[in-house]
Amino acid sequence: MPHNRTSILVWQIAILVVALSVWEWGFDLRKVAALKPLVPSILDPYFVSKPSAIWASFLKLGCFADKRGFAACFAANDNNLWLATLVTLKNMAWGFLFGTTSGVLAGLILGRSDFLSKIFEPYIVALNSIPRIALVPLIILMFGLGDMSKIVTAWIVVFFVVFFNTFEGTRSVDRDQIAASRLLGASEVTVLRTVVIPSALAWVFASLTPAVSFALIGVIVGEFIGAERGLGKLIIEAEARANAAEMMVAIFIMMIVGIILAFIVRRIQAYLLRWQPQFDQQAA
Amino acid sequence: MSAANVVRLQTAAMRATATTRITVEALDKRFKNATADVVAVDNVSFEVKQGEFVALLGPSGCGKSTILNMVAGLLPKSGGRIRIDADEVVHGAINRKVGYVFQRDTVFPWRTVEANIGYGLEIAGIAKPVRAEKVARAIATAGLAGFEKSFPRQLSGGMRQRVALMRTLIMEPEILLMDEPFGALDTHTKLEMHKTLLEIWERERQTVLFVTHDLGEALTLSSRIILLSARPGRLKEDFAVPFDRPRDPVALRGSEEFSRLYSHIWNSLGEEFRRTKA
Repeated sequence: MPHNRTSILVWQIAILVVALSVWEWGFDLRKVAALKPLVPSILDPYFVSKPSAIWASFLKLGCFADKRGFAACFAANDNNLWLATLVTLKNMAWGFLFGTTSGVLAGLILGRSDFLSKIFEPYIVALNSIPRIALVPLIILMFGLGDMSKIVTAWIVVFFVVFFNTFEGTRSVDRDQIAASRLLGASEVTVLRTVVIPSALAWVFASLTPAVSFALIGVIVGEFIGAERGLGKLIIEAEARANAAEMMVAIFIMMIVGIILAFIVRRIQAYLLRWQPQFDQQAA
Repeated sequence: MSAANVVRLQTAAMRATATTRITVEALDKRFKNATADVVAVDNVSFEVKQGEFVALLGPSGCGKSTILNMVAGLLPKSGGRIRIDADEVVHGAINRKVGYVFQRDTVFPWRTVEANIGYGLEIAGIAKPVRAEKVARAIATAGLAGFEKSFPRQLSGGMRQRVALMRTLIMEPEILLMDEPFGALDTHTKLEMHKTLLEIWERERQTVLFVTHDLGEALTLSSRIILLSARPGRLKEDFAVPFDRPRDPVALRGSEEFSRLYSHIWNSLGEEFRRTKA
């Protein structure tokens, strides 16, 4: 049976509609005595809210349903949904940028030098075995409740992922390709620029999609533990008021952010690695 | 006097007067193994003159690639001397007169065909218009027209090796070292590559040292064959290959002269092959 695009899309929509319907009306089925044992209590809107309530919360938090109008509502709350998203995104972007830059640099340097990599190996292994999240309270102590502590958390989380991949990628560069480059007149720096980096790039990119989600996790956890603004702060506040709908709004925003960023990384990857067989379609 | 004989005499005369480009003297190579010292190359001496096409022929594992890599400066030697012109070859130092073609596919997969071929010129800082013109000519010579913008993964093994060959030749090396460059190709593709290489060499007459374990290939291409023994690699015999040029690899392989020389050398080589297998 041919699985054409239409039939796949139809199934995807059907699953979405069923899931949303169960979420919206599933718990009401408890009112029918005969069905009560079949409905799990986890569907209680107190815990998981429901799509209509989430949508209403989104309109409220997003300042779309305010009597004062969008601008007044936006100005009244310095952690409104949009500013919170912006702050989280901004901290995430800096953490991602610092993390990937330092990770790639450290990976390239240690990957090219046997001497240095042997010296640093035990330290890196030791540091890497610390669960990064355990460091967050310490980081907040050091850098305060502001944006800096979130950036540092995301940085540390991203650094190790990117570092290990770059290191492996640098290690696995084809020695004959390096020799060929040298025989064609390349200096050490030229070899690095024209052979090592392009060849390690595939490994670096393999780490960037997880690095994006790790950066987001780093920032959110930082915001959970102590923050003035951000999506994580929004969730913690909603939790204090036992408001599941508002938490769900923040979670959906993060999901959308994650999808968009992963998409962007994938597009850049498909272009830069268009020489690799798995990117055939995009290259053509 | 036949044309063939004239060429033969001329070649002989050229060899007598031509300058020596590669000198290998009492070359040794020993590897330290976990259990023992392995002698890979034992007291090998030979010379390659200007414009000669010399095949270094021997059974697998006889150390012929090791010799070539020492001549290229890619591998340290254990003893003896290697000179290119008057300069001692030092391990790790690259001689700009030397071009090298690997057996393994070393084309850069992230560069297009034209960017691969132009690589050496690009890193040497040659201006783009000059480079583009040279690359276009190299692509035409190699029969790669239409594939300029292709990435290596879109090419066959033979075409990738053409790219590798032109990437080296575009630097106009005076001395060309080739390590079984067609060893991984099928017979038909190999013959096509022989044709291309002969066309280029018969026009440009670089000094070539060509490692192979394929007697037919050595006879088709070279003007001289240096035969090595099985491990440890020792110099066994030195044959002149007197076939007329320009050569047509297919016609040559069918000729009587070819079969006669083939079976003559095969008798020496066959002994070596039997020794390796034993």
